[in-house]
Amino acid sequence: MSDEPAFDFIRDSLDHCVKCTICETACPVANATPLFPGPKYVGPQAERFRTPGSSVDSSLDYCSGCGICSQACPQGVHVAEINSRARATMKQQRRMPLRDHLLSRPSVEGRLATPVAPLANFVLSNRIFRLLAERTLGIHRNAPLPTFAGRTFQRWARRHRPAAGTREVVYFHGCSANYFQPELAEMTVAVLEHNGFRVLVPPQDCCGLPLQSNGIFDTARSYVRRLVGNLAPYARAGNQIVATSTSCGLMLKREAIEILGIEDDDLRVVSEHTYDICEFLADLDAAGQLRTDFTAVPLTVTYHAPCQQQGHGIGKPALDLLGLVPELKVIELDRACCGIAGTYGIKREKYDIAMKVGQPLFDDITSSAADLSVCDSETCRWQITHATGQQSVHPVEVLHRAYGLG
Amino acid sequence: MAGLTAAVRLAEAGLRVVTVAKGLGSLRLAPATVDILGYAPGRVDSPASALPGFVAAHPHHPYAAITPGVLADSLRWLAEHVQAYAYVGDASANMLLSTAIGVPRPSAVVPETMAGGDIRSLRSVAIAGLRALKDFHPALAAENLRAAAAADGMAIEARPVMLSPPTDGEADVGTLGFARRFEDAGFRRAFAAELRAALRDEQAVGIPAVLGFDQVRSVWTELQEAIGRPVFEIPTMPPSVPGMRLARALQERLRRAGGRFVLGAEAVGPEIRDGKLAGVRIRAGNRETARLARWVVLATGGLASGGIQVDLGGTATEPALGLPVFGPGPGEPAFLPGYLGEHPMGTVGLRVDGRLRPVGQDGEPVRPNLVAAGAVIGGARPWREKSGDGISLSTGYLAAGTILEDAG
Amino acid sequence: MTSAAISSAQAAGQPARPGRADGRIDCEVLVIGGGSTGAGVARDAAMRGFSTVLVERADMATGTTGRFHGLLHSGGRYVVKDPKAAEECIGENIILRRIADDTIEDTGGLFVTTPIDDPGYADKFIQGCKATGIEVQEIGVGEALRREPRLNPRISRALVVPDATVDAWKMVWSCVRSARQYGATVLPYHEVISVIRDGSRVAGAVVRGPDGELRIRAEVVINAAGAWAGKIAAMAGCEVNVRPGKGIMVATNHRLVNTVVNRCEMPADGDILVPIRTVSVIGTTDTLVDDPDDWPITRQEIDEMLTAGENLVPGFRESRTLRVWGGVRPLFQDSGPAETRDVTRAHAVLDHRARDGVEAFLTITGGKFCTYRLMAQDAVDAACGVLGTSRPCRTADEALPDSGEQRFYRIGSRLAGRERTLHDEQLICECELVRRGALEDAMARRGAASLDDIRRALRLGMGPCQGGFCTYRATGILHQQTNLSAVAANRALLEFLQERWKGVHPLLHGDQLRQAWLDDWIFQGVLDVEHLPLADQERARV
Repeated sequence: MSDEPAFDFIRDSLDHCVKCTICETACPVANATPLFPGPKYVGPQAERFRTPGSSVDSSLDYCSGCGICSQACPQGVHVAEINSRARATMKQQRRMPLRDHLLSRPSVEGRLATPVAPLANFVLSNRIFRLLAERTLGIHRNAPLPTFAGRTFQRWARRHRPAAGTREVVYFHGCSANYFQPELAEMTVAVLEHNGFRVLVPPQDCCGLPLQSNGIFDTARSYVRRLVGNLAPYARAGNQIVATSTSCGLMLKREAIEILGIEDDDLRVVSEHTYDICEFLADLDAAGQLRTDFTAVPLTVTYHAPCQQQGHGIGKPALDLLGLVPELKVIELDRACCGIAGTYGIKREKYDIAMKVGQPLFDDITSSAADLSVCDSETCRWQITHATGQQSVHPVEVLHRAYGLG
Repeated sequence: MAGLTAAVRLAEAGLRVVTVAKGLGSLRLAPATVDILGYAPGRVDSPASALPGFVAAHPHHPYAAITPGVLADSLRWLAEHVQAYAYVGDASANMLLSTAIGVPRPSAVVPETMAGGDIRSLRSVAIAGLRALKDFHPALAAENLRAAAAADGMAIEARPVMLSPPTDGEADVGTLGFARRFEDAGFRRAFAAELRAALRDEQAVGIPAVLGFDQVRSVWTELQEAIGRPVFEIPTMPPSVPGMRLARALQERLRRAGGRFVLGAEAVGPEIRDGKLAGVRIRAGNRETARLARWVVLATGGLASGGIQVDLGGTATEPALGLPVFGPGPGEPAFLPGYLGEHPMGTVGLRVDGRLRPVGQDGEPVRPNLVAAGAVIGGARPWREKSGDGISLSTGYLAAGTILEDAG
Repeated sequence: MTSAAISSAQAAGQPARPGRADGRIDCEVLVIGGGSTGAGVARDAAMRGFSTVLVERADMATGTTGRFHGLLHSGGRYVVKDPKAAEECIGENIILRRIADDTIEDTGGLFVTTPIDDPGYADKFIQGCKATGIEVQEIGVGEALRREPRLNPRISRALVVPDATVDAWKMVWSCVRSARQYGATVLPYHEVISVIRDGSRVAGAVVRGPDGELRIRAEVVINAAGAWAGKIAAMAGCEVNVRPGKGIMVATNHRLVNTVVNRCEMPADGDILVPIRTVSVIGTTDTLVDDPDDWPITRQEIDEMLTAGENLVPGFRESRTLRVWGGVRPLFQDSGPAETRDVTRAHAVLDHRARDGVEAFLTITGGKFCTYRLMAQDAVDAACGVLGTSRPCRTADEALPDSGEQRFYRIGSRLAGRERTLHDEQLICECELVRRGALEDAMARRGAASLDDIRRALRLGMGPCQGGFCTYRATGILHQQTNLSAVAANRALLEFLQERWKGVHPLLHGDQLRQAWLDDWIFQGVLDVEHLPLADQERARV
């Protein structure tokens, strides 16, 4: 079983590029800084000048990996995926900064920091430490970092007696819910149980997305293999797997195959059975199987679809779900990207670019005078709150409230 | 354009509309003028007058399904749906607007920021370039404009002017970069001052179409006031700022009307249930699903957009729904050796009935609840005729009309 | 300039320059033909101190030299069939790597036994390499596939040889620059319209150039006109039986392999896949034609090349192909066998005094690109005989301009270079990463009104969009840079588009068809080039 597919369909997709520039019109980073030459340039164009193991253009590193270029490309060029691979090659040619190793292992940090969460959170929010971290590691002093919850969802799940349900569903909760926001995962379980599901939470660990986006491919691959090894038996048994971290769900659905090039039966069957939670619930609703006993939630909320959510290619099912909640007024925002792009906006040299990229979104949120921001990705929620001061929640949290489960 | 037009019209009429797009459409590349008919094959002065004869000579042309009433309605519809600026002109007369290489091009309905470039009413113009914009060469454009106008019996003075407004040291700023800068007041002031100083007694100034996105109207007005004479935008190669203005306008209207937009999903085949077209099979990520719908509008574009594809053997196919394609077959001549020749493959595409429903070899609609719009319909040579946007807009409008009639 | 004056100029350390006045040039050596051979001859002669003129009817290297796949043979291809040619190849390969490294990419080469090849050939190949001094190393199939993942997994053997690839235009122009440094006059766009005879002696030629006619008197004329050598020889009253052997090639949009891949078999059609700069080229065929200037490219030949590509790289047929083109090889036959591939690839210097009773006229014919330097050496040695003097050849000892430091071309160099100019300079041809500065320099040097000449110098328009985005930009710059009239600039634009179309339309389908349509949208839809003003109301019937 090789790690590089024999037929490199990602690199070969550059053949579909007709230089139309549509990706450039959509790239939020190129439109915010001249440091990034743009997706057409670093993707299909520069790829013709690269040889295996050699990627000579460092400006490529300013790509945030948001993936909007691939979505926008009408010809089917896997632009973002070409960029990701080239960036990984480039980083392997040079010394990988310690920072990138640190930022790509949230599960490791989670395990270490959870028992000492209050101390860890204090350190991460301490001004002096942050200044030091900026100078030594390259993590911007103002970058939005999460707080450790001090407990894990997995522990809660082990203790939780699953409701007897008529159907089973597997929950892939991801590192963020596990270490930073276990209450979101608990709400998700509650919402699913409310709809008659027995929620299975198999042993699981990080999907490797931050490793992948930082170009540490070999470790990322081993993470993916480990995770799908745990999930595959359920997928083979016909279970659907739902993810509340829309970016991690995308990793299993598509990116691990396209970017890491893993050819693996376990991965294939897992990816075919993976759903974003809103996708899953909206499909239930379309089949008339979603409980709609919602109470009124008389709030005005903005909804921002993160780039990673758009990468699923399923539209915005969260809008359909939120639309079911009585008295909830939803303002659909139409901005491409909040800027954080996973760990990109945390880095010292990219923070300002990230904030510039997200500024139109922040302005829209602020001027909307809404009560709450709704967004499917945890990193985006941190960025939005950091930039606007507004609280930001996952769509499931709204449903949870509307179902009266909290 | 065709797809968005149909989607917006349907959504605003109250239907639940989902637009599935493999990627963002070609509208972002388009000059965003609405060219109805420019050459047939001689230059057309009045599309409205020329169309009946043109359609009679080209019975399989998409315009064969478009009545003058539908055309006029669609033009009015467009003007109402773009807030950023006004669209001026109508089907009765073509303006003659300089292209970026200085050729006077017939165009019927154009953004107001371009209409001032109609050379029929100009005697002297300055053509202003931006040094950091490699996609616009004013010296070549000006000289060509003079020569072309003269050949047409019009005497026009055209003088090139090269400006170097501040770009933070960037030498390679594209159209998007300039459009963003024009939305900054400081930049505009510097630009206007430089332009004013460079002008003599020219009647009007042509500049590449980069005068901002949503703020285009105020940017354009302010600039005209600052230099005391009309300014007209000249469309450029992609990325096209006017195209993006139009795309954003229509996309915003779709959103406001409750239409859903699914980006990054590809239509791979029809969903047939009980022998009827029940929707479309869509592939996204690693899964194929069915999107169910009562009606389907196919607006995937022509050869340039991949809505019609031709394989190595010369067989043309329509990949989204597998519909019958009309054009040269394998083994038949497809392309002529002369670059500007009328290539037989140029008119390849679907054939439609008077209600824009794709038909088979027998001339009968393939599915009663399926309509097509835009360049996926064959029978036209949009760039030679200068009819591309006219076809997209009017067929998109009619496609929605057909469905609204059926919906009752 | 007389010989005496030339000798004293040499003695004073100055290059020997042809004398020029009023439509007439006097020199010692006149070279006809601006391909690799002619350029090599001009350089060699000039380096030896002869006052030299070279004339070429079009741009340099637009004949056979500019139309092959760019392979710098190790000679492996000939080890069994033509060991002498193989020895010459490897000898010259080593020399050229030393003196012209700037033009060469050290890709290395693989000879692989594909399922349709004779499995026994590989051993003969190895023996042949050893006998002719070509470094050969057998590697395992697994290792070959690791190096080249797109290779046919069903190959049974893989042998590594020192093939390389070369930018032929660059090589030729480097020879030209070297020749000019040594005082030669090199005149592209000067076509020979007659050969001057003084009784039984050839005394020069009359050429027609952009500024009118020129009479060039020379003490010896060297006919290096390649596939057209027969036509030139006929003008001098001599017979040279050069038969044009057409070969077509197809380029793919990106490099499917990074090593030259050859079938390990007796030479056959389509047995080489060459990664030349940003594309891969599969070639070639071998068909005799009558006229080196007029021959078709058939659908069948294209299909054959695609099939040949598929044999080396599965999936080749589905790959995006950019264009097809052909060249004619000069196949010199003194006797006349039927199958062109059997004609020797070795070269020959023909002294027409012996053959035709015509003096001071030499033809250098046959041969291959990779032995051009040796061919030139032999030709100039023969010219020395005519001139009654003996001067040693130094072309193998002195590096060409920009070469000599063992810095081979690397595919990533333009990309790495662009990193330094991202903010300071415009990228005109984005596909091939051609900077505005490079374009302006080339236009200033060439003063050319042809974008095709610029294309050869910089690869303008040779990428996926085939000039879609860069042609207008380049035309605008040409118009300004060379003070061209708009009408002439328009003509240059339309001619370039026609030239690009010529190679694209015979196999236009799939992604490239999509590209061509988008390009059309730009030219006809946005710019309306069809209605550009042209001279004398000439309609754009290109």
